[in-house]
Amino acid sequence: MYRTVAQLDSVMEFLAAGFPQLCTRVELPNRSIEGRRIYALRIAADRGSNRRGVLVVGGMHARELMNPDAIVELQLDLVLRYLNGTGLVLGGRAWSALDIKLMIETLDIWMLPCANPDGREYVLNSDDLWRKNRRDNPGTPCDGVDVNRNLDIVWGVTTSSASCNPCAETFVGPAAFSEPESKNVKYLCDTNQIDVFLDVHSYSEFVLYPWGHSPTQTTDPSQRFTNLATGTCLPLNPAGHQEYMPQRDQLRFQTVARRIVDDIRAVRGRNYKPGTVFDTVYATTGTSSDYVYSRHISNPALGKTYGFAFETGPFDQNTANSFHPTDPTAIKRDTKAGILSLIQQSICAIEFIGAMSVSRSADVQVFRDVRDEFLATTQAGRGWISLFERIQRPVLGAVLADESLSRDAISLLERARELLENEEAIASTRDVERGLAFLDSLAERETLAGQRRDLATVRKQLKKADGKSVRAILKDFLRPRRRRVRKRTR
Amino acid sequence: MKLPKKQIKIERPKKRGPGPNDPEPGRKVRFEATIHAGRKARIADLMNHLGIDRVPDPKGRVRALLTADECVGLLDQGFEIRLYHAHAVRPLDPSLIETDESVRLWLDEERRGIDRSTESKGSTGREGN
Repeated sequence: MYRTVAQLDSVMEFLAAGFPQLCTRVELPNRSIEGRRIYALRIAADRGSNRRGVLVVGGMHARELMNPDAIVELQLDLVLRYLNGTGLVLGGRAWSALDIKLMIETLDIWMLPCANPDGREYVLNSDDLWRKNRRDNPGTPCDGVDVNRNLDIVWGVTTSSASCNPCAETFVGPAAFSEPESKNVKYLCDTNQIDVFLDVHSYSEFVLYPWGHSPTQTTDPSQRFTNLATGTCLPLNPAGHQEYMPQRDQLRFQTVARRIVDDIRAVRGRNYKPGTVFDTVYATTGTSSDYVYSRHISNPALGKTYGFAFETGPFDQNTANSFHPTDPTAIKRDTKAGILSLIQQSICAIEFIGAMSVSRSADVQVFRDVRDEFLATTQAGRGWISLFERIQRPVLGAVLADESLSRDAISLLERARELLENEEAIASTRDVERGLAFLDSLAERETLAGQRRDLATVRKQLKKADGKSVRAILKDFLRPRRRRVRKRTR
Repeated sequence: MKLPKKQIKIERPKKRGPGPNDPEPGRKVRFEATIHAGRKARIADLMNHLGIDRVPDPKGRVRALLTADECVGLLDQGFEIRLYHAHAVRPLDPSLIETDESVRLWLDEERRGIDRSTESKGSTGREGN
């Protein structure tokens, strides 16, 4: 069953009115072509500012009906589970109460469930395979602009799925951001810190990431979209262009997408395929996931946003049934699992603890630099990143639950930042002792029982730091760790 | 960025038969089809048919929703078309749309799921607003 636009809005209205301490419903500045108000919902328990932001968008393509419903249901699930202190089970994948708490207390979760309300109403009342918005294209008998071809990234460059013909289903519109529905996505990115973005589409069971307009390469930074002509209504020029992406970003996209795929599979065994839009679907221009990721390249003053897209649900008998199956319940469950997986992976313990620090709030760039410019460059370093990602959520849970632990974490983070800012600085015995005490305190917690082995590994590494310079300590992190080999006994 | 006016190519489609934008609702139809290379046309030439409504195909073929006009155009160009379904242009089956009453009942049910204690936590927030 599918909800009308008013019914979708009523869910957000219910949440904002009933739980204003958690939910804020925001009317976006641009009404749809037919004058409908468009709303987004922010879910966040109020614990400081400068938090990482996630934006989930659905319903850009009108006929892909399942996703706006899945998104509002997830809004409700998250808020009610948080208030009740319970976890969320989706088939074979469960998120604990702590998982939900961390998402809501450490992130700003923005959701725009129905970006193209006119299109949805038109599908419900007139044409169940309508894709675009309801723009009247002057001088033609054809209506509609493809909202997800209208964003400002290689806009107006034609592909097999981006057209300058107003009668085409993939009409790019008369100008980038000519449409109120796409402008609203830009507005949300302009006015909030959005670190991670997801645009939910149907169908094909894909988890997608940039680039969409060309193949991706990691070796030639001179091949950038910023050098390409736009608005030409011609194919990409030069034809062999391959868009650059730093390897660390590519690895990040691949790792996150792989985990999303694993989480979706755990629900009921569906095998979503991860990959770039270009390699997995087809060449596109002007799409949202490419646009949000491109923003920090077009304007280096902006923060980086990792842009993802889903294509939810399989092909099922025919196109109409694939876009809006009679019973979408199971597909919506997969979708919710994928969204939760992405939200959960957007949590960053260091950024959150950094933001709690009074003295230099949110100044955690030095840690990002160590991760991206240093650790990510070798296999051993990437092993440390993985270890940190494994333990950060339970560590953050323990820190949030205990004020003294929270104070220790802030103070240790500040000291670590001081040290990392000067490669010649020496880690003192006192520094090491404070770190070890913190790790011991964590290891005592029941909630960290599953992480004791990782904590012991960190402990061992920290002990080696006594009296060493930061440069030497970092070098140690790049040495392959010796793995304990267990002898098999028969 | 605005397109220079000259570059906006607006073509009026030739009226050969019913299309999804035609004004007579009862007679409109889209054909779900896969498009294949014919004797005269290669699939790469499909790039010239930028208007077609391409949809994903489980076997990686070129699948699209086509109007009668588009079918004729593609056949004229030498492509082979295999038709699978004719989708009448019509509203979504009303039995698939929630009623306002069912949504209200669902939200009431969800609201009841909240513990009394947490509900009072919610009202504290309301007061603060």
